[in-house]
Amino acid sequence: MTILGEFALWIALPVAIWGATLGYVGGRTQRGDLVLSGERSVHAVTLLLAIAAAGVMAAFLGDRFEYWYVASYSNRELETFYKVSGLWAGQRGSLLFWALLLSIFSSICVWLNRKKNREFMPYVVGVLLTIVGFFLIVLLFADVNPFERLAFTPANGQGLNPQLQNYWMTIHPPTLYLGFTAFTIPFAFAISALLNGRLDARWIVLTRRWTLVSWLFLSVGIVFGMRWAYEELGWGGYWFWDPVENASLLPWLTATAFVHSIQIQENRGMLKIWNMSLVVLTFLLTIFATFLTRSGLIESVHSFAQELKIAYIFLSFMAALVGVSVMLILYRMPQLRSENRIESFVSRESAFLFNNLFLVGVAFAVMWGTLFPLIAEAVTGEKISVGPPFFQKVNFPIGLALLALVGIGPVIAWRHATRRNLKKNFLWPVVFGAVVVAALWSMGVRHGLAVTTWGISAFVLAVIAVEFWKGTKARARIEGEGYPQALFHLVTRNRRRWGGYIVHVGLVMIFVAFAGSAYNVDVRQHVQPGDQVEVVSPFGNTYTLTYEGLSVSVGRGQRNLDWQIIAMLSVAADGVPVGTLTTEKRQYVTTEQPMTEVGIRSVIREDLYVILSALDDPGGVLDNDPSAQGADLQVLVKPLVGWIWYGTMVLIVGTLISLWPSVDRRELERERASGSGDAERVPAGVEA
Amino acid sequence: MTSLLGAVLVTAMVVFFILQPVVKGLQASLAREDDELTDTEARKRVALLALRDVEFDFLSGKLDEEDYRNLKGEFTAEALAALEAHEAALDGTATEGDEDLEAEIALARESLRGGVPCGECGYGNAPGSRFCSSCGSGLTRGASAGHSPATA
Repeated sequence: MTILGEFALWIALPVAIWGATLGYVGGRTQRGDLVLSGERSVHAVTLLLAIAAAGVMAAFLGDRFEYWYVASYSNRELETFYKVSGLWAGQRGSLLFWALLLSIFSSICVWLNRKKNREFMPYVVGVLLTIVGFFLIVLLFADVNPFERLAFTPANGQGLNPQLQNYWMTIHPPTLYLGFTAFTIPFAFAISALLNGRLDARWIVLTRRWTLVSWLFLSVGIVFGMRWAYEELGWGGYWFWDPVENASLLPWLTATAFVHSIQIQENRGMLKIWNMSLVVLTFLLTIFATFLTRSGLIESVHSFAQELKIAYIFLSFMAALVGVSVMLILYRMPQLRSENRIESFVSRESAFLFNNLFLVGVAFAVMWGTLFPLIAEAVTGEKISVGPPFFQKVNFPIGLALLALVGIGPVIAWRHATRRNLKKNFLWPVVFGAVVVAALWSMGVRHGLAVTTWGISAFVLAVIAVEFWKGTKARARIEGEGYPQALFHLVTRNRRRWGGYIVHVGLVMIFVAFAGSAYNVDVRQHVQPGDQVEVVSPFGNTYTLTYEGLSVSVGRGQRNLDWQIIAMLSVAADGVPVGTLTTEKRQYVTTEQPMTEVGIRSVIREDLYVILSALDDPGGVLDNDPSAQGADLQVLVKPLVGWIWYGTMVLIVGTLISLWPSVDRRELERERASGSGDAERVPAGVEA
Repeated sequence: MTSLLGAVLVTAMVVFFILQPVVKGLQASLAREDDELTDTEARKRVALLALRDVEFDFLSGKLDEEDYRNLKGEFTAEALAALEAHEAALDGTATEGDEDLEAEIALARESLRGGVPCGECGYGNAPGSRFCSSCGSGLTRGASAGHSPATA
């Protein structure tokens, strides 16, 4: 199977080149037979890459350590679950996995469009297979072939980094890759539109769902990564402005900008060049993120020399993409002129524009902060680090402005908002926000940034609540429906709009959670069995943790575990016992240092987070010496942190509502048959 | 041996699958299908949707009377222009099968004209009005066309 997989990888490249060429030539010459052959090549490449991926998995499951990739990321003792996910555990498999996901999406795209949007498809096929082909070239010629063999067969592999042996880490990379690769489809349609000259909003309408799917996977993938960092890295944080994290955030920022700016083009015929630029930029950033995290560049600039080949290939490809895209946009410039102009600074159009500028601004700041140390080190040879303070200083104010726009944008009038319009829609939400700030202040909550965040959040939630209330009321009145029914119809008749509001609610929840970190409590204490640690949460309740002592479990190499030392704590909240928490040191066979496993107890308002920082005498514990029970504990209370995950769930629900087809074809037909005279009557509109 | 056989089989399948259209002359369609929105149709749709949004914003109390009248006037003019452009595009290609569409457009136009905006204040007046019920300016038939942006 593995041999067949390797073979399939080699065959996939000529097939991709063939299909890409035929896509372009078929589009240019309008020859249906060539285009059909190109489209079939997409499916063929998907099949071949699936065989190749299956080959890698078979090598992992069969413990085939003659393959460098398997020997480096697995060993006999690794659990089957992690052997399967070995496909994306390292750079080589990840690149193959990326190509496979992209070809699967490409196949779905070709299949969905087998009977429609035909004038776009030849070039779409060309672009998609060009990208797949590029990854195949990298895989085969940049010394990263997952099927590369060692000169000998080691008795066992080196095993998987224990920190990666975590549920979240298993699903985090594939989710992100789904987001990255799905965005290739809007990019392909954009380039196709530039090539065939159909530059109205159609390519945007056609790819709106792909954009949202990509955005959803990116969002969820980033949050999965945060969750992993929170549970596994053992310092209680979820975001460190680390280059790998930043790399995944960049395309999310520009994709978010794109999701908003396409609405301006659809509704007002503006920002055409901007949208083209954003789609190209976002796609480049997905490639860049893959490059940054999977080229070995980040691990150390000193290993750069060894990875020079892959870096050159990636950079030339990105440069070529920029060159071609810019040339195409310049060539089509006359047709990309705006149909309308922004009339007023205070209007929904300008709110959208500010949203875009801020998001792209954050993206550039993050990019600069990520790349600057790399560039500086490459030039001067000295290590400079751009730490969280830089990112926080730049991004927090812009983040707050964006949060405020979440409330302003959807309500402010199109074209030009009058003073009356502003007063009518914003007076009460602003008052509500101010009341919340005053209430917090009077309760002694005085952290400026946190209070500002919560005040703006309250304003935004009030705006959205009023929107729902007014909409439901109006619909109930016009259609004579009961309120629950009116609310249901309100959302289902314009899922895009109301789904978007729900996404915004999720986002506000996440911001509220971020601000909660201003009130983290951190207690460190050395303990002997029977000792108690008292922590007062910012919400006023007291946790009493009683240290019950250590227990030992010797793994003898099973699941790669050498030993575990587990600290047990009884927890009482305000004197009421609520159960136990454990935190561990684990020694894996495959690593030198023991790893820390934290204990987390979540309730809706806060998390209690316990870290076994150090043991007085690990050797003594393993020898069952009763006097060696002393340990250093770190106990954190992290208010509101759970709201990141709750907010993400709300965000997912909202995006799914937006994604769902608003009105099915039949209903549209019926509407046509009855004439569109109901334009006067039907509220909230139908959006295709 | 099995691997070799598999490889040969996969290659043969792939080559046959992708070359068949070229050899046998199987064609993929490259033309627009009938039920897809045309450019002008899409514009018309967007314009009508904007109108609906304004309408709904007013009904749900987000816009007051005056803002509503102004915005409605502007969007109506746009929608009308889009409808006319759509109609002009159809004139070139119209066939007998398009009667439904024609009827639809006539209806939509009528309903939009019903709210034909005043050239001065933008108020939507009843069909057949000769003077604006809001500001009293004279209404001409071309009032709306004067407002609309260049048609495609």
